[in-house]
Amino acid sequence: MRVLRIAGEGIGSLAANKLRTFFMMAGTIVGIAALTVIMAIGKGTEKRVLQRVEQFGPQAMMVVAGGGKAVGPPDSSVTTLTLDDARAIREEVPDLQYVTPQAWESAATLKHGANQIQAMIWGVEPQWHEAWKWYAAEGDGITDEDNATLARVCLIGTSVKRDLFGQTDPIGQSLYVNKVSLTVKGVLERRGTSGMGGGDFDNRIIVPLTTAMRRMLNVDHIGGIRVVTKNAALMAEQAEQITQVLRERHRIRPPLEDDFRISTPTAIAKVVRGTSGTLSILLVALASLSLLVGGVVLMNILLISVAERTKEIGLRRAVGATRRDIFAQFLTESLSVTFLGMLLGSVLGGGVSLAVGRLTPLATVVSWEPFALALVFALLVGVFFGVQPARRAARLQPVEALR
Amino acid sequence: MIELENIEKAYTRGEVVTQVLTDISFEIGPGEYVAIMGASGTGKSTLMNILGCLDKPTAGHYRLDGTDMVNLDDEGLSHLRNHKIGFVFQQFHLLQRTTALKNVLLPLMYADHYPEEAEELGESALAMVGLSERVDYRPNQLSGGQQQRVAIARALITDPAILLADEPTGNLDSRSGAEVMAIFQRLHRDGRTIIMVTHDRDVAEHADRVIVLDDGRIAADEIVSQPRDVETELANLTPAEEELS
Repeated sequence: MRVLRIAGEGIGSLAANKLRTFFMMAGTIVGIAALTVIMAIGKGTEKRVLQRVEQFGPQAMMVVAGGGKAVGPPDSSVTTLTLDDARAIREEVPDLQYVTPQAWESAATLKHGANQIQAMIWGVEPQWHEAWKWYAAEGDGITDEDNATLARVCLIGTSVKRDLFGQTDPIGQSLYVNKVSLTVKGVLERRGTSGMGGGDFDNRIIVPLTTAMRRMLNVDHIGGIRVVTKNAALMAEQAEQITQVLRERHRIRPPLEDDFRISTPTAIAKVVRGTSGTLSILLVALASLSLLVGGVVLMNILLISVAERTKEIGLRRAVGATRRDIFAQFLTESLSVTFLGMLLGSVLGGGVSLAVGRLTPLATVVSWEPFALALVFALLVGVFFGVQPARRAARLQPVEALR
Repeated sequence: MIELENIEKAYTRGEVVTQVLTDISFEIGPGEYVAIMGASGTGKSTLMNILGCLDKPTAGHYRLDGTDMVNLDDEGLSHLRNHKIGFVFQQFHLLQRTTALKNVLLPLMYADHYPEEAEELGESALAMVGLSERVDYRPNQLSGGQQQRVAIARALITDPAILLADEPTGNLDSRSGAEVMAIFQRLHRDGRTIIMVTHDRDVAEHADRVIVLDDGRIAADEIVSQPRDVETELANLTPAEEELS
């Protein structure tokens, strides 16, 4: 094919001038690498968001005592959230599947024999299991009867089981929280670490809510209410309704701040995305700048090269090259440069993405999509900045060029 | 084969019109060896460019093998150059970072069909100009005379109707120049049509026919009764540079 032969002439000239070719590529390499990293971080972040939302429950909300921050444990000094609030929400907000109150102690000391660890205690009602989709892997869950009798029982997380009981079967054994003795009636399913802050979900025990409030924490208020909707589409509206119910019950009117907050999957996703956003904007700026500067450098080197190779162009015209052939040859040069730059940039970007995923808190996912986008960008840059030099080369009059 | 009919060429720069060629008409038949001679500024380069289809006349007709190039566009002219014309330039015009063989094959890049046996063709073309040992040499590894011989091999690779040479010995010492003339003489004997542009009467007289230009017009068109014989000239010269080194 004649077209391929002409293209070959363009590529041949690149191979003969390796240093020049490298300079022409540099901008594309950096630009495409940055682009690749942006997309890797973007995908990594979205994956993390998805995991975190999945972990939280895509249909779920948490009403937590204490205002301010968007995520994290409740403010234990806030005592205004009560079981009556939970009941009011259940009665007044329609289309909710579960409304289950919880009490918290974020760092309690657990003892069994000589072993002693710090863990979190949650006081829960039986619905808690469904609301969190978190059940007993061994033994039984918390029951209504446990709550009615203020039973001294608990379910333990797998980390607690490992640290407190080692290899022995914990069921039926007892452990102490301060002076309260609890009988282990089950082991919770393993849940892993939190997507945020890296807290260990399995380093906790759950006890009946009444036991927690009366026997252990000695409080009348609760830490939070887990709410699961029947219809995820209604969630924003329901969050608003819950806010109204609680504001009314707590007599909160602007400018007073809420003494509670509601975490939704949307709010959680926003927090997870937060940090990566600014970095991505910086990288987008770097990528566009590199591609732009790289393109201008490419164009200038090509223009110089056209000027330097006037005689060569004249000769090619004399032996039969048409204007189109010359145009094609120089455009091929430009496109090959950006294509090669794209390949190297993608490899570099992939490497940097992996390193970022390992060495920084940011999550990255290396995939083929940035490669496809890079190909498009490389071709755009190649054409955009290659056309002008190619056109200038093609316009040379053979008679002038050979002089 | 070649017919020039009332060729005119004028350059217009602003309001100044410079008439370079006036009423040039001649015919060259197949197998002729013609020198176009004239002092510098007489329009011989312009005529050479028109003969080579690198430039168009402002008036007149130029038929090459039956095709009137005046009617052709860039594509057509390029095609015509590729097929019908082999160029030999004073400055050789070889691609620098490219081997002799690749240089010779360059015109085939722009041909409609790239022959499968291109490399063999190129090698035999180089052999014909006595460079079979230099196939993979680059121009900077070759002497001036050798470079011009590579250029001749390149001009012949497409088997063109005419070989068009512009001061082919202008940049060469007398020995290399004579060698180039010897190759032309051999090509002429084999029936190749050769047109050579030169300012040098001694060089011109290697041809059978000399067309003399003066001030853009044909001043003389004469048959050379006794063309110079290069073989005897060569015998009288000092040994070739490459034989000395």
